[in-house]
Amino acid sequence: MADSVSKEELVESIYQEVAKVQGKKQLKAGDLTKLMIKKYGDAVSKNDVKFAIKELIDSGRCVYTYFGGSFIELPHEEGAAKHI
Amino acid sequence: MSDTPLLDQLETGPWPSFIADLKRMAAKKPQIKDLLGQLERSYEEKITHWKHGGIVGVLGYGSGIIGRYSDLPDDFPGLEHFHTMRINQPSGWFYTTAALRMLCDIWDQYGSGVMNMHGSTGDIIFLGTTTDNLEPCFQALARNGFDIGGSGSAMRSPSCCCGLSRCEWSCYDTMEACYDITQEFQFELHRPGFPYKFKFKFSGCPNDCVAAVARADCSVIGVWKDDIRIDQAAVKAYAGGELKPKGGGAHVDKLDIQKDVVDLCPTQCMSWDGSTLKINNRECNHCMHCINLMPQALRPGTDKGATILLGSHAPILEGAQMSWVIVPFMRMEKPFDELKELGANIMEWWTENGKNRERVGELILRLGMREFCLAVGLDPVPQSIKTPRCNPFFFWHPEDFEAEAEGKTYIKL
Amino acid sequence: MAEDRITDIGPPHYEQFLPPVIKANYGKWKYHEIPRPGVLKHVSESGDELYTVRCGAGRLLTTDYVREVCDIADKFCDGHVRWTSRNNIEFLTPKKENVEPLIAAIKAQGWPVGGTGHAVTSIVHTQGWIHCHTPAIDASGIVKSVMDDLFEYFGEHRLPAQVRISLACCLNMCGAVHCSDIAILGIHRTPPKIFHDKLRHVCEIPTTIAACPTGAIRPHPDKSIKSVVVNEERCMYCGNCYTMCPAMPLFDPDKGGVALLIGGKVSNAKHPPMFSRLGVPYLPNNPPRWPEVCQAIRKILLAYVNGANKWERLGEWITRIGWSRFFEICDIPFTFQHIDDYKWAYDTYNTSMHFKF
Ligand code: SF4
Ligand code: SF4
Ligand code: SF4
Ligand code: SF4
Repeated sequence: MADSVSKEELVESIYQEVAKVQGKKQLKAGDLTKLMIKKYGDAVSKNDVKFAIKELIDSGRCVYTYFGGSFIELPHEEGAAKHI
Repeated sequence: MSDTPLLDQLETGPWPSFIADLKRMAAKKPQIKDLLGQLERSYEEKITHWKHGGIVGVLGYGSGIIGRYSDLPDDFPGLEHFHTMRINQPSGWFYTTAALRMLCDIWDQYGSGVMNMHGSTGDIIFLGTTTDNLEPCFQALARNGFDIGGSGSAMRSPSCCCGLSRCEWSCYDTMEACYDITQEFQFELHRPGFPYKFKFKFSGCPNDCVAAVARADCSVIGVWKDDIRIDQAAVKAYAGGELKPKGGGAHVDKLDIQKDVVDLCPTQCMSWDGSTLKINNRECNHCMHCINLMPQALRPGTDKGATILLGSHAPILEGAQMSWVIVPFMRMEKPFDELKELGANIMEWWTENGKNRERVGELILRLGMREFCLAVGLDPVPQSIKTPRCNPFFFWHPEDFEAEAEGKTYIKL
Repeated sequence: MAEDRITDIGPPHYEQFLPPVIKANYGKWKYHEIPRPGVLKHVSESGDELYTVRCGAGRLLTTDYVREVCDIADKFCDGHVRWTSRNNIEFLTPKKENVEPLIAAIKAQGWPVGGTGHAVTSIVHTQGWIHCHTPAIDASGIVKSVMDDLFEYFGEHRLPAQVRISLACCLNMCGAVHCSDIAILGIHRTPPKIFHDKLRHVCEIPTTIAACPTGAIRPHPDKSIKSVVVNEERCMYCGNCYTMCPAMPLFDPDKGGVALLIGGKVSNAKHPPMFSRLGVPYLPNNPPRWPEVCQAIRKILLAYVNGANKWERLGEWITRIGWSRFFEICDIPFTFQHIDDYKWAYDTYNTSMHFKF
């Protein structure tokens, strides 16, 4: 593929999407896949995104969360953990 | 005066008492004293005192850890963080005591010592630990060969009946299939990427001991295609009362072959003349009734495999569904490539099209069986329906007209 | 350090846990018998025998309990034991002479032997107040109370067929109970209460709104309040909003309670699998012993024992006599709650003259 996207760029791009909507909207892995394919077209595959998400999570910059569905978010303190 | 007068009332009676069990643990672990204290409070007030947590986990995984916090942390400090860990169980829930003791030692070291054998999905559940203990507990388990199970919008830990290991009726190797599929989908199990949960369950025969039809998105139920094996001498022994119905598991001691077996066969495909039992096997729908009643006389045939059913889930949201037949017969031999490929196709289509929290069975109802079958590469088969539609709202596609142009007809004349 | 982490190994392979007699006869079992309640005898083509002693248990156990299980399995079963899909513990041994002492050791521990054949076997259940955030009822306490009450049916084959009881403590039914002979279901009956002051601080409004499966939650019309409102008519008390937002609890200690759904099964024997259907819409949430729930289940079970034909599951019996007769026999007044008005309601309406007075 001529105009292929580097893994670092893809990881960063996913991170930016998550950061952009933090607190407003929760994105699922599937949403991120669709966003990346929209952005990069044929230059990325579903599998590329799958492993880019893995890398992002393994790095600790994003985490999986569960609120009636699993999402990918920036790490933050749990509402429920708060002492109120 | 006891601190837990209400719970104490659950220490009497013949069924094993979880309160008595927890109290012993409370003598060793302060958080269990808190657990009993908070439970007593719930018994008084009739409400729960747990808060949900959706963020904790171990690095890299989005599955298998469920955050829990007490809403009374000042009163019960031991419960301020009290998270659940799901540990993927071995196929068929077989253990050696060495493995169980190892699990207990790890859980005593890193957690509350309270567990479920097993959770609803089938995992070993460890109830109650702090965020700091999650990773060391996970790695201690992993060094001993155990891994965390599924949760959230992921593949859930598959489960199976004991199959060939101890059941003469099993039509395929449920335990190996369960193990193999679990290994195949480790990524999907640990890294939630689906619209919602996805469960596989494997039952070896239509008795469906793991309730696959009701509790798994993909239900794999063993079945045979050829003739039920009959031992006529044993049938006579049942008729004569020397052998007991259901191997002795029934409330009656003697079978009436005509009334109990033949007359209750749902397809009316059996006959009994007092000395020979005949089955018109082509008409048998393998319900298992006759086999269940006479385990020493009848056995499933030898041309065996499984039926794949899809779509069941609990009532949320559209109402409860049971799985329905999508593949009437599939050979189930290692390495189960056909099932893996079908499973992967189903997950891909559902991930592409499903809305958040939409189970695959709901998605099929929303988009239609035709779209589903075409997407995953299945032909329409009459075994997948109870009846055809009764409305005239069936649609035609260009492909249908093309097929007709090439000679397709809808009844052979 | 992170390099050494082990991930994605999956569960251990089961083979290392199988007793030698099972390894030797894997796929070669010929038939089984139930020589007495709670004991299975499997016989192989090779003539080998395997004895299983089934022991009832709740699913909530401590490591102490599990070690006691291990002690018994070490003594009589060469260290082999398994659990069933219904929380029963099964002790496995090829030695017939071990069966009696094994049973004695289990009983000495205060544990019951049974759960085979035409019995009430262990109740599968969910977490309840011990560990979940949305239950309307406890789980282990009701299970213990019901099993104490039905104990005589656990250790003997006295029923027309097997009876499978399940419990889920809220309608999320994380242990799907909807195909059980008797399903005990915890129900909330009131919409969430909203604590606006708290909500503002601990909840994200867009994600809270998105969490509601029926679309019942809207932003508060007064924007300065920064909270949400619930359209109560659309709420089905599922608690999803509370999962997202701890400032919206839907617990009402006096109104929450228990519903019984009746007549489901998963086996294909005779009739195809059936859903459980609403039998008793509400029973009070009455800890620590839930007497009304125990009595209602006993009443339904006895009606079934008296009325069913041999081999009929609870749902098959009701199908034969008709629901109206079932309600009459069990003294259950018929209510609007019994009539479905959810998505596929029409399928449940009677469009025939086949009914009874
Ligand atoms: S589902 Fe069938 S094969 Fe599996 S344990 Fe039950 S009866 Fe045996
Ligand atoms: S399995 Fe069921 S349908 Fe088949 S012969 Fe036996 S009773 Fe009849
Ligand atoms: S049934 Fe509901 S309340 Fe009970 S454990 Fe499951 S999700 Fe929690
Ligand atoms: S309880 Fe369920 S239906 Fe009711 S408002 Fe909350 S999320 Fe919506």
